[in-house]
Amino acid sequence: MDTLVARYSRPAAHQNETFGADQDEDLFNDMAPTLSLKFAMPPVAQPSAWLRAATDDRSNPACPIKIAHGTTTLAFRFQGGIIVATDSRATAGNWIASQTVKKVIEINNCLLGTMAGGAADCQYWLAWLGMQCRLHELRHKRRISVAAASKILANLVYQYKGMGLSMGTMCAGVTKEEGPALYYIDSDGTRLPGNLFCVGSGQTFAYGVLDAEYRYDLTEEEALALGSRSILAATHRDAYSGGFINLYHVKEDGWVKHGFSDTNPIFWKTKLEKGEFTNVTSQFERIER
Amino acid sequence: MAMFSQNPVLNGPNYSFAEVPRDRVDGLREHRFNPYTDNGGSTLAITGADFAIVAGDTRLTSGYSINTRYAPKVFKIGGTNSNQSDATLLLSVVGYAADGEALKERLDAVCKMYRYRHNKPMSVNACAKRLSTILYQKRFFPYYVHAILAGLDEEGKGAVYSYDPVGSYEREQCRAAGAAASLIMPFLDNQVNFKNQYQPGSGEGHALAEREKAPLPREEVEILVKDAFDSAVERHIEVGDGLQMMIITSSGIEEKLLPLKKD
Amino acid sequence: MDHRPQQWGRPRDDVYGAYDASYMQNNGPNQHTQQPIVTGTSVVAIKFKDGVVIAADNLASYGSLARFTNVKRLRTFAGTSVVGFGGDVSDMQYLDRHLNELAIDEAYTSEAGHTLNGRNLHKYLSKLLYHRRSKFDPLWNHLLVAGLDEDDKPFLAAADLLGTTFTSPSLATGFGSVLAQPIMRRYAPDEESAAKLTKEEAVDIIKECMKVLFYRDARSMDEYSIAVVTKEGVELKENEKLEKQSWAFADRIKGYGTQTV
Repeated sequence: MDTLVARYSRPAAHQNETFGADQDEDLFNDMAPTLSLKFAMPPVAQPSAWLRAATDDRSNPACPIKIAHGTTTLAFRFQGGIIVATDSRATAGNWIASQTVKKVIEINNCLLGTMAGGAADCQYWLAWLGMQCRLHELRHKRRISVAAASKILANLVYQYKGMGLSMGTMCAGVTKEEGPALYYIDSDGTRLPGNLFCVGSGQTFAYGVLDAEYRYDLTEEEALALGSRSILAATHRDAYSGGFINLYHVKEDGWVKHGFSDTNPIFWKTKLEKGEFTNVTSQFERIER
Repeated sequence: MAMFSQNPVLNGPNYSFAEVPRDRVDGLREHRFNPYTDNGGSTLAITGADFAIVAGDTRLTSGYSINTRYAPKVFKIGGTNSNQSDATLLLSVVGYAADGEALKERLDAVCKMYRYRHNKPMSVNACAKRLSTILYQKRFFPYYVHAILAGLDEEGKGAVYSYDPVGSYEREQCRAAGAAASLIMPFLDNQVNFKNQYQPGSGEGHALAEREKAPLPREEVEILVKDAFDSAVERHIEVGDGLQMMIITSSGIEEKLLPLKKD
Repeated sequence: MDHRPQQWGRPRDDVYGAYDASYMQNNGPNQHTQQPIVTGTSVVAIKFKDGVVIAADNLASYGSLARFTNVKRLRTFAGTSVVGFGGDVSDMQYLDRHLNELAIDEAYTSEAGHTLNGRNLHKYLSKLLYHRRSKFDPLWNHLLVAGLDEDDKPFLAAADLLGTTFTSPSLATGFGSVLAQPIMRRYAPDEESAAKLTKEEAVDIIKECMKVLFYRDARSMDEYSIAVVTKEGVELKENEKLEKQSWAFADRIKGYGTQTV
């Protein structure tokens, strides 16, 4: 009864009608970790159905918020470590939102993550994973294994299953205990160890090239060339992939970056100097038949 | 990562979601409240060697109506007072204006708290990361805005960060967002990043050498911004009325207001 | 997550259920379970050199029925500002109670009288509206706030059920945004021209707008309230009647239905 009286005897101006709880937190409690796991939810019965209605541009091209997709990323293990390669295009429907996305995320100096699916999901949760990895290091005085790191991420996304996250990511790293280790994690909660993965809308094209030429005993140079060539094939045939080829090599003492290079000159070089892509003409004039 | 989900040119203004297929999925139909709207407008940001420019038109629309001819979309962020005279950062928001306003005020509050606690203004890259997490906190009920943050980095170089509605971000040389982004961005690719520009006489066909990349001087960028908006106004109904330009340099933030066509 | 190239990364129907388009419908009237029932139509307002003139008719409609004919849709706040409400009348009454309590509260707590000016009031209301839309429980109103800002300059701004806010030398909600706004913009296209208008001119423009609205807005009425907000306070008249109406133009209109002349 008292609470009822209190509820109605309080002046309306004192009822907190104007701020959300999240904003109060900003103002009064801003020392809280910014990567906290509190999310504002739409106050509806089915938040995921609502979110899908607002963001699924494939089912509804007129949806207001478009979360871009379309990507080719790959990673494979070989005798010299792990090669990680991606394209750099972000699309929203038919619009190319960016040609310069960095789809390889440097979690720390010996762990890499790749980004496919929702860019924000990947950026946020891989940054969060970096935080967890650092905490692990501080608690246990040694680096986290790739297996453990990937499992932290897989468990996390599994908690959010059905909520609408979209990410297909690979974790690549080298540790003393494991050697080079590679895991695939996606937003369904799948976590798979493996030697070779391609992820994204251009995955099939990349698999085609990669599977044909892949051997475990590739030299470092051959492996880098193969990673780059597989992405090139995917950017050539998948409209949702393109831009630049982002190439990394993960070794025992950390990863090394091997450039962020424009696909266009690489394509013409591959064609004109190596004689590949014969389906494309390099003639500028019309060919007389 | 659908940054900047702008409407493709041919779709017309994305003022409503009227094109949504109306067939319903299951038996029960519940009419619902749609918490989003699109208030049109366009923004753009370009960096230079020692400055950054953020600009936006000042028209605010609902559907085919012009609500007002002056509603700024570019804001100073993180000053110590209400007129933001000592601000060091710029934020532009375009999309759903009320979400934009809420986002701006939240980021400003965060920057102010930071300034009081640490006794120094927030750096651009710190603020950029924080803005990303603010947007991501609403991953499941997104802010329908395309934000661009600008400032000077630790080396004094111009910095522009662009965001999608749920917080993925990237540092870029230039970015156009909003209704006319699909009209302005290709122009910027060519004029700022020199895409598809080659050195005349450097060769034939594949031997043509690309034009050397170099940051543009401030005067040239200002002209570029005006040209970009003048062109967008010609071909997009949600853009026009006024051009608000904020220029951030080591000596502070300068604001310019230029007229655009009002038809 | 769908792994087929075309659908890559999108939600799969067997996990999320089929795409439900009904979530992304328009805000148009008569589409929502939660919808305005008893409604007020346009509010119009224009700034002049010393203040703001604001007006709204006294009708509350129930669908197409002209249900209540003496509903005052202009509410004064603290004797210094006026809020004009369009849209749902019950939500207007809730807001009115809320604002009354706020004004009383302010009067008790602040030492030197009222501290909330027109700008403050508008900010408060727009935050309230935005907060309620974020709870998916909107206050179904489109409102105009007329008052003075911190420098005692005329202040006029709008806020709607989504929390969208804007200010302009002249503003109108509902049908007024298409019928009255063009008339007002002819007299006050920008702040400079509004600052040249006298009170009498501004009142005449508003009366002209009310007349046009009555001619063409089927949910309007010829009795209206008009308020003039200046530094001296609020001058509110709640039982005005449209004068000098002329339907002489009516017999010149051709083109509706089957006409033989």
